[in-house]
Amino acid sequence: MAESRIHARGRLFSFILLFSVGLSSVNSTAQVPLLIWSTDSLPPLASPSAGHISSDQELAAYLRPVFASGRHTVLLFLQEKLSKDDLTRYGGVFGNKQDSAFKNLEAALRSSSSVTFPALEWRSPSAVTALLEAELGASPVLADPDTLSHLSIDTSVNNLLLINLPYCSDSLKSCKELLHDNDEVLGKVLSVVQTKGVPYISIFTGQQPSRVISESAVPQEKVGRSLLQAVAADVKPPIVFNSTGNPCIMLWAQNLNVSIPGTTGWTDLAAQTPNLTGSACSPSSSQLVLRYPSGHVLSFSMSQRFYPVSARNWFSLDTVELQMGGVTASYVGSRGIYAPAEYSFRCQSVNNFQDALLVMNSTNQSLSQWRLNFIDFQIQGFSLNNGTNFSYASDCASFFTPAIWMGLLTALLFLLIFLYGLHMIMQLNTMDRFDDPKGPSISVPQSE
Amino acid sequence: MNGHAILYTGVTLAFWSTILIVGICYTIFDLGFRFDVAWFLTETSPFMWANLGIGLAISLSVVGAAWGIYITGSSIIGGGVKAPRIKTKNLVRYVSVTQRIKIYRILVKVFSNSFSGTTPETIGARNYQAGYSMFGAGLTVGFSNLFCGICVGIVGSGAALADAQNPSLFVKILIVEIFGSAIGLFGVIVAILQTSKVKMGD
Repeated sequence: MAESRIHARGRLFSFILLFSVGLSSVNSTAQVPLLIWSTDSLPPLASPSAGHISSDQELAAYLRPVFASGRHTVLLFLQEKLSKDDLTRYGGVFGNKQDSAFKNLEAALRSSSSVTFPALEWRSPSAVTALLEAELGASPVLADPDTLSHLSIDTSVNNLLLINLPYCSDSLKSCKELLHDNDEVLGKVLSVVQTKGVPYISIFTGQQPSRVISESAVPQEKVGRSLLQAVAADVKPPIVFNSTGNPCIMLWAQNLNVSIPGTTGWTDLAAQTPNLTGSACSPSSSQLVLRYPSGHVLSFSMSQRFYPVSARNWFSLDTVELQMGGVTASYVGSRGIYAPAEYSFRCQSVNNFQDALLVMNSTNQSLSQWRLNFIDFQIQGFSLNNGTNFSYASDCASFFTPAIWMGLLTALLFLLIFLYGLHMIMQLNTMDRFDDPKGPSISVPQSE
Repeated sequence: MNGHAILYTGVTLAFWSTILIVGICYTIFDLGFRFDVAWFLTETSPFMWANLGIGLAISLSVVGAAWGIYITGSSIIGGGVKAPRIKTKNLVRYVSVTQRIKIYRILVKVFSNSFSGTTPETIGARNYQAGYSMFGAGLTVGFSNLFCGICVGIVGSGAALADAQNPSLFVKILIVEIFGSAIGLFGVIVAILQTSKVKMGD
C-alpha cells in the first residue's frame, strides 16, 4: 500500500514536471502541420501529446530511417500558408463531410499509410525543404500536374518534387474555393504519379503558418481588478497660515480669478504661490494676507464673536481687499459669508458681480470695473484644532432656495383651500328630515 | 373610519412626522443654525406676500358671500314653494356683502408701483412693510368677510322662513342681520387702516 502511494506520488510529480515542461515549450507558437503518406508503409510514430510542438530534430529523426533504406521519390506539396485552423475550418469536420475542401487529401491519407505531425515548430519558410534536401541529398524540382505528366521520374535516385500551392489572398476566389483547387492539384499529381507506377512518399505542409496565436506563459499585465474610473487628479493643498506652530487660517479655492481693467482677461491667483507675510491670528480676529509675485495682494479679514440670540459664536468674512499697483479695492462680505465659528465656510462661487457675496465698500467709480471671481472657495479662520483638515463646511447654498420656499408656501395654501372646499362638497346631503313617503304630496299653488 | 377620516389622519401624520424627523436630524447634526426664520422672511419676495394678501382678500370674501347665499337661498327656495312673496325681499341684502370686495381697489392703489431691488438691502424696509401689510390686510378683510357672510346667511335663512310664516317679522329680523354685516365692515375698515401709509416703490 505504501509503495503504491509512493508510486502514485512519483507519477504525479513526473506528470507535473512534464506538464510544466510542456507548458514552457508552448512559448513560441509558430507551428505548421505536416502530413506524410506513402505507397510503402511508413514506420509508426508515437502520437504526440496534445499541445506538443514537434521540433525539426524530431522530424529529422523520424525521416532518417525512412530515407535510409533505398531510393525514394518525395512529393512535397508546399502550400504558401497552412495552419491547423485551415484544416478544421474547411475540412468539413463539423458533421458536414460533403463541404470538405480536402477530399483528395483525405482519400490519400486513408488509402496509404500515413503519419501526421500536427504541430511542427516553424522557424523559417524553407526549413522543411532544406531538411528534405539534406536528408535525401537531392535538390528540389519544381513541378505541377501538367509538366509532371511529361516528366519521367528516375527511380534509381532520390527525387524531390516540389509542388507549390497558393494560399488565400485578397483575390476574387474565396478561401474555400482556392483550397479546393489546391486539393484538385494534389489529386491530379497523385494520380499522375500513380499512373506512372512510381512509389512515392508525399508530404503536405505549409511554408509558413497562416495563423499565429501569441501566447505567453508570463502575464505581461498586472492581473487583478482595478477601478475603471480615471485616476482622480491630485488635489492641491490649501493655503495654511501657521501661528505658533499650529495652523490658524486655511484657505482653498479652485480659482481665485481677478480682473483689473488695463489687463486683459482674468488672472488666476490660485496658480501662483503666495507669500503670507502680514497675516495675523487672534482668538477674535484673523487676517490672511496673500502677496503674489504678479504684484497682486489679496487679503481676507475675519472676525468672530458671541451672538446672544442664537447663543453661539459666529464668524464672518468682514472685508476682502485687492491691491494692485498702489490701488486698493475693498469689499464687504459679512452679509453673506458667515458661519458658526466651529465650522468653515464654503461656497461654489464668491464674486462681486453676480449674486454677489462681496459688495463694494466705496463708491469710487474707477474701482467699479474690478472683478473678483473665486470658484469653489473654502475658508476657515478659527477653531482649526484638527491639523490641516477643514472642519465641517457650512455651505452658502441652502437646502431649499427662497424661491422654492415661496412656491411651496403658495402651493400648500392652494391645496389647503382646495381640500377644504372638496371636503365641504363631499359632505353635502339632501335633507330627508321631513320626508314622509306615506303622507300626502304637497300642493304647489299656481298663483302668487 | 370613513374615507375622509383616513385621508386626513394620513396627511396629518405625514406632515408631523416629516417635521419631527427633519427637526431631529438637524438637532443631532448640530445644524440647527440652518433653521433661520429671519432668512426666510427677508429672502422671500414682498411681492409674494402682497399678492397672497390680495388673493386671500378676494377669495375669502367670495367664499363668505357664496356660503351665505347658499344657506339663505336654500331656505328661500324651500319656503318660497308655499309663500312665493318672500323671494325678492330676501335677496336684496346680498348686494351689500359683495360691496366689501371693493377693498381690492385700495390694494391695487398701493400696488401700482413696484420696486427694482433684488437683495434685501436694495429692496429696502418700506417695500417689506408694504408686502407684509398687504398680506395682513388681505387676511383681515378676507376672514372677516368670510364669517360675516356665513353669519348673514344663517340669519337670513331664519328670516326668510319666519317671513314666510308671518310677514310682520321681517323688519325685526333685519336688525340682527345688520349686526352681522357690521362685522364685515369692521374688517374693511381695519384693512384700510393697515394699508393707509403703505407704498411700494423705490
